[in-house]
Amino acid sequence: MKLSTLPPSLPTLERPIEPAKSAQMRQSYQKPAASKLEGLPWKAFSSTFLTIFLAEMGDKTQIATLLMSAESQSPGLVFAGAAAALIATSLLGVLLGRALATKFSPKTLDTAAGVCLLCVSAMLCWDVVHF
Amino acid sequence: MDWHLLGISFITVFLAEIGDKSQFAAIALSGSSKSPRAVFFGTVTALLLASLLGVLAGEGVSVLFPARMLKAIAAIGFALIAVRLLWPNANSSEESEEAL
Repeated sequence: MKLSTLPPSLPTLERPIEPAKSAQMRQSYQKPAASKLEGLPWKAFSSTFLTIFLAEMGDKTQIATLLMSAESQSPGLVFAGAAAALIATSLLGVLLGRALATKFSPKTLDTAAGVCLLCVSAMLCWDVVHF
Repeated sequence: MDWHLLGISFITVFLAEIGDKSQFAAIALSGSSKSPRAVFFGTVTALLLASLLGVLAGEGVSVLFPARMLKAIAAIGFALIAVRLLWPNANSSEESEEAL
């Protein structure tokens, strides 16, 4: 007898069909995420890594950490302090770059970045010749 | 935990790095790149590796030489860095020439 009371509640059972809808949505959502993974960030990461690493070799920061860790008995602490400072300054740099990106057109920024990197390479050349 | 040493190395490196060519490059790269987060992680990894190399080299030096001599070398080194930073004319004229 209780079974006869069930049919009225059947229309509400249609709801579980929705997961199919959400699966469809998930599929369309996953597409751009996958292309993002294979494309941009790694290229940006590796080119940034190479640029900064080359710029930093034999730089005043590296010489400063070298001298401080030689002078002190605990190189681990010098590294911790230097690491925290470097993370802070690079965060400042990236935030500044993002702020500039909202104000200027991509073309202007590309030109500015090119000039900046030329200046960096000029600084490095100057360092190699004069230091 | 030697907070004094930690603080000194933080302040020294922080001040040395502000407006430095690597920060300059980070600003330029993240401004023109679509993924500033990747630029940030690339920058941090490169800087940490570079400073780790510096610290390891410094540790190696401390085994070879006495402390007093190292302090003298450190003093000369910091003086050289300061003089290089404070030298106004040679730096800017050379840059503009080579940038052209």
